[in-house]
Amino acid sequence: MSQVNRIEQGLVDTNRELKFTFNDKLYIAHPGDTLASALLANGQRLVGRSFKYHRPRGIFSCGSEEPNALVELRRGAYLEPNTRATVTELFDGLQARSQNHRGPLGFDLMGINDLLSPFLSAGFYYKTFMWPKAFWEKLYEPVIRASAGLGSLSGLPDPDSYDKGFLHADILIIGAGSAGLSAALLAGESGARVILADEDFKLGGRLHAETLQVDGKSGSQWATSTVKTLSKMDNVRLMSRTTVYGAFDHGIYGALERKTDHLASAHGMPRQVLWRIYAKRSIVCTGATERSIAFGNNDRPGVMLAGAVRAYANRWGVTPGKRVAVFTNNDDGWRTATDLVNKGVEVSAVIDSRSIEAPASVAGASIIMGTNVIDTMGRAGIHTIALSNKQTIKCDCLAVSGGWNPNVHLTCHQRGRPSWNEKQACFLPDGVLPPGMHVAGAANGALSLSSAINSGFLVATDVLQSLNLNAAKMPSVNADDESTNIEPFWHSKQSTKRCWIDLQNDVTTKDIVVSHQDGFRAVEHLKRYTTLGMATDQGKTSNVLGLAIMAEHSGKSIQETGTTIFRPPYSPVPIGALAGRSRGKEFKPTRKTPSHDWAEARGAVFVETGNWLRAQWFPIEGETHWRESVDREVLQTRNSVGICDVSTLGKIDVQGKDAGEFLDRVYANTFSTLAVGKVRYGIMLREDGILMDDGTTARMGEHHYVMTTTTANAVSVFRHLEFCRQCLWPGLDVQLISATEQWAQYAVAGPNARKLLQKVVDPDFPIDNENFPFMACSDITVCGGIGARLFRISFSGELAYEIAVPTRYGNSIMETLLQAGEEFDAVPYGTEALGVMRVEKGHAAGNELNGQTTAANIGLGRMVSKKKDSIGNTLSEREGMNRENGLVLVGFKPVNSASTLSAGAHFVTRGNAATTENDEGWMTSVAYSPTLECSIGLGFIQRGQARMGEIVEAADPLRGKSTSVEIVSPHFIDPDGERLRG
Amino acid sequence: MAELTLKAQTPLRGYSNRFGDTRLSELSDTAIYSIGLALETAPALKAIKNSLGTDWPEPGKSASSTDGVYRLLGLQADQVFVLFSAATASDGQSQQLPNLGQNTYTTDQSDSWAGLYIEGLSAVAALERICPIDLHSSVFEIGRVTRTSMEHLAVIILHEAENRYLLLSPTSSAQSFLHALETSLQNVIPIPIDN
Amino acid sequence: MIINHPLLGPRDAAEFVYLGDASLINRPDSATSNAAEQFYEYLYLRDNVAGEMRELWYHEQGDRSWLVVTRNTLTHEISNVELARDVARAQGRNR
Repeated sequence: MSQVNRIEQGLVDTNRELKFTFNDKLYIAHPGDTLASALLANGQRLVGRSFKYHRPRGIFSCGSEEPNALVELRRGAYLEPNTRATVTELFDGLQARSQNHRGPLGFDLMGINDLLSPFLSAGFYYKTFMWPKAFWEKLYEPVIRASAGLGSLSGLPDPDSYDKGFLHADILIIGAGSAGLSAALLAGESGARVILADEDFKLGGRLHAETLQVDGKSGSQWATSTVKTLSKMDNVRLMSRTTVYGAFDHGIYGALERKTDHLASAHGMPRQVLWRIYAKRSIVCTGATERSIAFGNNDRPGVMLAGAVRAYANRWGVTPGKRVAVFTNNDDGWRTATDLVNKGVEVSAVIDSRSIEAPASVAGASIIMGTNVIDTMGRAGIHTIALSNKQTIKCDCLAVSGGWNPNVHLTCHQRGRPSWNEKQACFLPDGVLPPGMHVAGAANGALSLSSAINSGFLVATDVLQSLNLNAAKMPSVNADDESTNIEPFWHSKQSTKRCWIDLQNDVTTKDIVVSHQDGFRAVEHLKRYTTLGMATDQGKTSNVLGLAIMAEHSGKSIQETGTTIFRPPYSPVPIGALAGRSRGKEFKPTRKTPSHDWAEARGAVFVETGNWLRAQWFPIEGETHWRESVDREVLQTRNSVGICDVSTLGKIDVQGKDAGEFLDRVYANTFSTLAVGKVRYGIMLREDGILMDDGTTARMGEHHYVMTTTTANAVSVFRHLEFCRQCLWPGLDVQLISATEQWAQYAVAGPNARKLLQKVVDPDFPIDNENFPFMACSDITVCGGIGARLFRISFSGELAYEIAVPTRYGNSIMETLLQAGEEFDAVPYGTEALGVMRVEKGHAAGNELNGQTTAANIGLGRMVSKKKDSIGNTLSEREGMNRENGLVLVGFKPVNSASTLSAGAHFVTRGNAATTENDEGWMTSVAYSPTLECSIGLGFIQRGQARMGEIVEAADPLRGKSTSVEIVSPHFIDPDGERLRG
Repeated sequence: MAELTLKAQTPLRGYSNRFGDTRLSELSDTAIYSIGLALETAPALKAIKNSLGTDWPEPGKSASSTDGVYRLLGLQADQVFVLFSAATASDGQSQQLPNLGQNTYTTDQSDSWAGLYIEGLSAVAALERICPIDLHSSVFEIGRVTRTSMEHLAVIILHEAENRYLLLSPTSSAQSFLHALETSLQNVIPIPIDN
Repeated sequence: MIINHPLLGPRDAAEFVYLGDASLINRPDSATSNAAEQFYEYLYLRDNVAGEMRELWYHEQGDRSWLVVTRNTLTHEISNVELARDVARAQGRNR
């Protein structure tokens, strides 16, 4: 089939041919075509099946409002369902398929649903599938999902890439039709920073779809020359193929730019970019969308919006039919008839619901006033229409105009409601607009070309003034001021057939009546009961029609009936675009420790802790199970010396004359008394008395402390400290800065730790027990003068140090320490061995500081100094947090040493049932202790300290087990701390 | 006993790469210190003026000493970063931060930040994909600086010269930051249109 | 949302971290006789404002300042932004 309906060139480039397929059949089109114009040019009227009843459907509109012509584009992993053919820019090699049918498009096996339609009307889900309940999940839902629906997904990962971005403007102009172009022209000439965005690939809006004139030129030529002028302005950014889909708070707009959808291949570039646009002002110039009229079988292929029929002829050089009839309630519909006749297309009749004098003459057409269409005939496409005056008319295309709805969506995205204008029979933006937003052109009811252009100039002038910018002189433009008179006519009352309102969700006038009868009369109820306007087109061509009919039934005015709430997005935004780059490993940043490269080369197994990657253990040859590696690392550390990267701990420089006082207030214990060159363990409470964080803080100088936080809380503790500094005690002289990233810090632990470090630390800095005792700290140098810090602190319970060097040496010092430790068989250890040793030593960590526990719970209640105020001090005294039977952190050992303990098990007294009432606490952390050669655990249990030696049950119903455990000291090794002081 | 030494590495190992008209390259040999002001600001500001030869920049602005040795980035009302060359001169010496006295609190940040220069005609287009700040030259003028976030990472951005920006982001996530910039540049390099 | 930072100008709310009612600045004196009662009220009792509310926001991805933002919880309109440090000082908070 060649392009039987191509009547002239229009604005497409007929000198070049593009090949495309629809349902595997090859067709020819031209650059400038959409898939819809190309299908129409090739005489393809039937393009899909409807959602619920599988009715044959054809192209209805020429823009993003399209309810019918949804197709699957591309193949394989690139397949994209539910793409509107009307906004699909044609490219060579495009592959499209119709969707929602079984068997061929022309004979859909699911067409049976149409015969069942009496049972499938409004609310049928609620009424029909109520009982029995068990059938819902297993039977009803799968059947409904399989038979109703749109396109199918590829089921494969999306191979395209997407991006996001940020743009800033003085004025964002949304829509590049007559009003948008004129507003942009004036704003651009006035020097404002302007973004002009339009969803179409060709800027100009309906100027390209009409034969109206501007300054003696065609509107299309005026648009083209205006765009050319704008493109030369540095302060104007033109964004075609860009849909502004949402208006958010404070002048932030969401926009989707389709970068490569019009190309056969994206060439690895992002397919779409999701922009966040910050605009001081916006001018909504989104034009208007035509609405239909409800009459019998008005969904038949060939029934189209009148403005679309005209657009196909004028812009794309395509007539949707060889013999066209027009049905209208307004003057605008007549222009479809005159434009077509002027192009030599036969117009068989113009039917106008108004009983007025015909506003125009149309050569060769029957003019039938005060009449309406009641039915259409034709199997897969219209061939005859029946009128209320019993007349029948032959036509293969019926162009319908029920009037135009200004596109007020963006003006309502912050809960604004439009108001009904009786004269223009349409909703217009109410006075209450989102801050900074203005509306011009048809979107504001300036429906004629001349009024739209003038409105663009006027609104731009106001906006420029509000920005204190000098507005350039308004150009004088002489444009057509066509008539837009209308008398509302919503539906044919004489029709006995089903009259469609929402074509995409298959909602008819009868559904509105049922909804009314069943009491779902408020528009929001009507919407949900009938699904009116809930499809992917959000009812752009149907909502106003539906609620006008509801108004009629309920005897209310349209204003009283009102609209449903408009919400973003204006048109669908792919999930891929919302995700942008954030997929796979790019979902979040990765933080690497200073010795990461060294650890990777060493074959470390890594674990994610927050954004950090940390070495979990370092397997060596012959080890096949992680426990082998971890046990070896623990034993070698306890027997000789081990080294662990602990750089992820938060480090905060606290400086100032009041630094000590400040720390006294944020820590529960005291730091102002700490001597320079000493380290102290501190606990920090929240104001409610619950533990917030713990760590060591070193006093490096009179006015200089270095605080460490846990890895997980580094950011939140810093934020809290800034709150205390700025909001609570702004008179304290204290400065904070994070130094987490500055230092590569390593724990060197084990009986040979000192001997190892003595080889690395420069001899000027003696680190023997006398000169550098437990809890000492100092600035030192290593390896011949490199500045470093040394802290004598121990998390493992061994003789241990933490040595810090500037991060740049992070990989190198690991090698150096191991080289120095070769004679001691020094071992690198990971977070797993670190965890085992801290459980063996009974130190609390994240599992214990879980946001529910107090200092008393972890056995450190006495650290909360009562000699001073500190955050959380007062409320930590609350009765409920100091009960006698309160939870206390203790150790647990299995009675049968072969048993394995599990974290999360709950403790019950022996003989009691494992019920919530009998719950006495829970196991927080467990480990296999290679030192003790059995499983050990830490946990909270009521009155724990007083129950040493008692045997309780650790019940773990989730894992279906219960273990008898003995309550022991949490310090499994070296309870008196002789090792770390040695 | 074998001599024990330490080798220094930069966060991005001296990265440099060209993307069409724009180059991305790692900042090298630069010392970075934070300088915090004591509550009593007058003596501190005087010490800074005397020792560094520049006034204290307001937040959002940068300032340089007249001899160009020190550049101060105004990041907070009471805290700035000072940048200066840490290259070793021919005499084996390198520039040190002068003692600024009792009323300033300094912390070495040289190893905390990975620095990248992005320079060229596509710099702004690439940054638009990740930077929420308005980079228009009339708003974020040459000499402007601010801390913001890009791709969930903290970033300090300085408009150093026309089409030239210095970006500082934490060392630990330097690879992620580099990846974000490389992707941005790749995503804005024009491609040939094939139909 | 956009917060018009008093030192830095308009910045995207994504750079900020929200805390809550600006009354958190008014931390009670622990030395008073009914300190427990005062702390209880300070920490737990809040008005659920439909309208203008003074809130604490922290410019974490910015200059690390705490701000007092006056925001209408119904419209999101932000009518005033102050440095929390200045607000605290004006309320007599010092050391």
